[in-house]
Amino acid sequence: MPNTIKIAMLLGLLLLGGCGDPPATQNDVPVKTYKHAMDGAPGSLDPAQSASLYANFMVVNLYDTLYRYKYLARPYQLQPNVAAGLPEISDDGLRITIRLKPGVYFMDDPAFAQGVGRELHAHDFVYSIKRHFDPASRAQGAWLWQNRIEGLDDWKVAGSDYDTEVEGLRALDDYTIQITLIQPFPQLIHTLTQAYAAIVPREAVEKYGQMLSSHPVGSGPFRLDSRNDTRAVLVKNPDFRKEPFDLEDEGYDPASQADLGLHVLQGKIPPFVDRLEFEFITEDAARWNAFSAGELDFIKVPVSQFDHVLSTRSPLKLSPQLGERYHFEASPESGFIYTNFNMADERLGHHPDPHQASRNRALRCAMVKAFDWEKRNEIFFYNIGRVFPGALAPAVPEYDPDADISYNRRDVQGAIELLQANGWNENTLPTLDYGFPNSVTERQIFEQFRNFMMDAGYPSSKIRPMIFATYGDYQRAYSQGKVALINSSWTMDYPDAENLMQLYYGPNASPGSNSANYDNPDYNRLYEASAAMSESPERTAIYRQMNQMLIDDCVSINGISRTLLFLWDRNIIMKPDRSFLGGYFMRFVDLAEPSRAAP
Amino acid sequence: MMNDTWQRLKSDRYGMGGLMVVAAFAFIAICVWSGLLGQGWSEVSGNRWESASASHWFGTNLLGQDIFQRTLFGTATAFEVGLIVTLCSTILGALLGALSGWYSNGWLDEVILWIKGVLDSIPFYLFAAAIAYALQGNTWAMHVAMIVTFWTTTARIIRGEVIRIKQREYIEAAQAIGLPDLLIIFRHVLPNTFHILLVQASIVFVAAINTEVILSFLGLGIQDGVSWGLMLAESSQEVLAGHFGNFIAAGSFLFILLMGFNLLADSLQDAVDTRRVIQ
Amino acid sequence: MTRSYVARRLLYGIPLVLGVTFISFLLMVYFGPDKTYELLGKNPTADQIREVRQALGYDQPFMLRYADYLKQLVTLDLGLSDSSGESVSSILGRTLPISIALVLPGFVLGNIAGLMLGLMAAWYRGKWLDKLIMSASVVGMSVSFLVIIIGLQILLCTPYGLNLFPVRGWQVHDLGSYLYFVTVPTLALVFVTLGYNTRFYRAVMADEIDRDHIRTLRAYGASPFELMFKHVLKNSLIPILTRIMFSIPFVVISGSLLLESYFGIPGIGLVTFNAITSGDQPVLKAVVGLTGVLFVLALTVNDLLYSLVDPRVAKP
Repeated sequence: MPNTIKIAMLLGLLLLGGCGDPPATQNDVPVKTYKHAMDGAPGSLDPAQSASLYANFMVVNLYDTLYRYKYLARPYQLQPNVAAGLPEISDDGLRITIRLKPGVYFMDDPAFAQGVGRELHAHDFVYSIKRHFDPASRAQGAWLWQNRIEGLDDWKVAGSDYDTEVEGLRALDDYTIQITLIQPFPQLIHTLTQAYAAIVPREAVEKYGQMLSSHPVGSGPFRLDSRNDTRAVLVKNPDFRKEPFDLEDEGYDPASQADLGLHVLQGKIPPFVDRLEFEFITEDAARWNAFSAGELDFIKVPVSQFDHVLSTRSPLKLSPQLGERYHFEASPESGFIYTNFNMADERLGHHPDPHQASRNRALRCAMVKAFDWEKRNEIFFYNIGRVFPGALAPAVPEYDPDADISYNRRDVQGAIELLQANGWNENTLPTLDYGFPNSVTERQIFEQFRNFMMDAGYPSSKIRPMIFATYGDYQRAYSQGKVALINSSWTMDYPDAENLMQLYYGPNASPGSNSANYDNPDYNRLYEASAAMSESPERTAIYRQMNQMLIDDCVSINGISRTLLFLWDRNIIMKPDRSFLGGYFMRFVDLAEPSRAAP
Repeated sequence: MMNDTWQRLKSDRYGMGGLMVVAAFAFIAICVWSGLLGQGWSEVSGNRWESASASHWFGTNLLGQDIFQRTLFGTATAFEVGLIVTLCSTILGALLGALSGWYSNGWLDEVILWIKGVLDSIPFYLFAAAIAYALQGNTWAMHVAMIVTFWTTTARIIRGEVIRIKQREYIEAAQAIGLPDLLIIFRHVLPNTFHILLVQASIVFVAAINTEVILSFLGLGIQDGVSWGLMLAESSQEVLAGHFGNFIAAGSFLFILLMGFNLLADSLQDAVDTRRVIQ
Repeated sequence: MTRSYVARRLLYGIPLVLGVTFISFLLMVYFGPDKTYELLGKNPTADQIREVRQALGYDQPFMLRYADYLKQLVTLDLGLSDSSGESVSSILGRTLPISIALVLPGFVLGNIAGLMLGLMAAWYRGKWLDKLIMSASVVGMSVSFLVIIIGLQILLCTPYGLNLFPVRGWQVHDLGSYLYFVTVPTLALVFVTLGYNTRFYRAVMADEIDRDHIRTLRAYGASPFELMFKHVLKNSLIPILTRIMFSIPFVVISGSLLLESYFGIPGIGLVTFNAITSGDQPVLKAVVGLTGVLFVLALTVNDLLYSLVDPRVAKP
């Protein structure tokens, strides 16, 4: 028995001895490591399933796409990745020809003959897009191309046989791809920058099947070393094609970017670091503490720290003592947050009877008036979010900075009067379910919303929380029309306002992305008429007209675009991005003093 | 019997202290239910993260809601959960335990033992999560999860006790004159287990309050309203940024109530367990 | 103990396992989270919804899915995660050691400390030391696990306290780093179990100390230390072992669920928590099914051990 005591004492000593010990290092070789924090973890790493921002970030580092965006140019500009140049587009806009760079190789993997990675060819791209139209691949990107490419939808109907050629999606030879469209689709090239369009070798899919999602086989600048629920480590792919970095070609702007120290990268061969370490930390506070302790090189600053980080809000300025240690950038979000009304719900949305429809509209408009954007912005976005009316967010050039913003101005008295004038009172107001996936912040957002409505006389018992354990269950519920007030956010897929306008297009109603189920024939007609148009003053006028319809109909309480604050260690040379460029920036990350890389 | 118990309880200083604490909290809960206290739990009445002051005793939270009001409302939530779970699981446990003990080694006993074994074999939080799913969005999901798991312990204890009581002479006499089983169980057997049920109920009450906190933290707790568990979940996002209002308020209320209940449960146990007292 | 008794005990385990798997299947899978909408792209069509449900196997009839589940448990071929595509067995193989490494020190220390305190209290029963220990254990029992975790984190891991340990994470590659990451969770686990353990051990010991032969030995002046370990502890081994054995699956799963999700430790608890919040049914049903089976196994073994020690139990 005394043994037990010995063990206890030993353990006790060990515990005491552990106090204050820093995490030990295991390798002495200086390795250039960049440690990146993300606020969520990716699920699948199969490009065809890379729906989340987090998966996107990792997939574009493991695989290659035809195009990406220029590292430094803002607004974003397309840049060939494994494509040899920008596409050749026929005059009618229907035939697109893309040539590939020769000499791009997949990384070595047992999936290939003799385990040696082979060259990436045009048919690999064709195969990778086809996977989205094969139910067996559990792919999630088909919506980008469905009803767009000649013969592709029929190919699926015919049973998704990869050996059958699709007329509109062909590899003319090893280095030439030809795409034929059903009607002009100006956003096509943007869709080819997405992780969904990353190129996967058929051998790997056939060898690993569903397990490809945890065993990536690509041609990207990095390969997967290890991954669990809290972190992932990527290491440099030594066989990555050697393309010297060219500042000018990446859209360098010395006037605004000189401070970042990027000029030293000129002519070097990316990727510059040996290791990428991703930490998935969902809790804001924990992420911030790890960053402050020097365990991370980069962070998207949590809102609760804005006070601490900023010295002034307009203009946005970093506090001087943090400025000594960190680089700082404020970057507008490429999307927005909004609360949709379920227009398919006859108690507050569309109604066949014009009188009731107008009463419902008054109800919605009163709720819009009761909503306090100033307070919402102050509490949850530290007053640096940008509030705007309708769906045309500040991220797109169609956004009108001089637009009338009375839609976003709180008017409690006006709301009360509007309700009274239309016969709405405590008894007649409908009981509305406000849905959200469970989290502390979502609950706080709900309670604040309910408070706003209570100020306009909406009984608190008539706005009920409807809480879901998973985001998927929440989506299912509102897709099935069970939620009256749908709080959600939209992150743009590509830098084109069409991606915003489709949010209220009738045929995109639930389960599509038009979760408001808004169905206005005028709006739909304008959307269809402008579908084949590229960005132009003419299209801008149409979009602004459509935006006004959304405002007049009070379809949604929208919206706010967050301003993201990035901090990164002064030892790191980079310009981070969380928008359209996303994870592509990581191949260009470098360290000023590599010796500091070892922990 | 009950009278003796009460006398013994009264002479136990710790027990009486515990009882007083519990009574004080119960009083708060009743005041909340009758609309006298804590009605402003949801109202935004100040700025974000105000520190303690005369108008906000415990300060305010992120939204500017009064933490003191929320703590009071949380007391009512704790009692609501505690009472419902305790009452239902004790009744269920007593009934099934008594049936199982009365018909021990019969098929009914086997079935009840089987159900008990199955429920005991599933890790509790997973089971609670599962029920919360199956009853998604239902206000009572959490209560059901606790009732379904908590009754088994009560049933086991009652079963043993009933097997003992069954062999007493007066029960055998009652059987001999042909009284129906159910009548005997309700009239003569169950009343004699009342003291055990009382102790067991106080233990379940503590467990229910404790569990509510953790389930709410995991997002499986109450739907609308506020509870100490939700406040602690909120605080877990704030303490690292230096805002301790939610943590201190909910943490200390929770501690004091649990302490009171534990003391009460202990001395109740001593009071009904004559054997121990005599020693 | 007869062979037929052993056989009967083992047979008795079968309906239990069936019950456990059936209930967990019914609740967690049939009524459980639906991953369809998370796996759908934007603007899905009705056909695509049907395809995803098909790929996930949601369209199969209930009994068929249940039978599949049983087959998976028997063959230990647990399928692939719906989230990451990794095989469930390899997820379990990767995470279980981490969870064990996480909770083991706390579990052992909590029991040893509880045993020591319980012994002391039982030995000095009714004296001031007993009262002190018992009051302290009531205080310990009255602090919520969550409060302990948050409190320790403030005290040990932030600039508001001593700031000695990491807020979160698990990058263990040697003893030093292990201690660095395991200390705070261990303290939390010890703290939350100590009160209950102390009371349990005191109760068990107190019964034993009252026995005549111990009293006699005590009267003859046997050293308390020898008496305690040689006689008292030996005789109360059975209830102690039972308690320890039964708490293992629960400490590993339930204890680690909270600790790991709070401290961001990639063990089985966090994996389970993530499976709950993302609707990853293959992982969820494997975890519930296997713990249930392990528990029933522990129950059976325990019964058999009991009958070894006390043959009367085995009599029909």
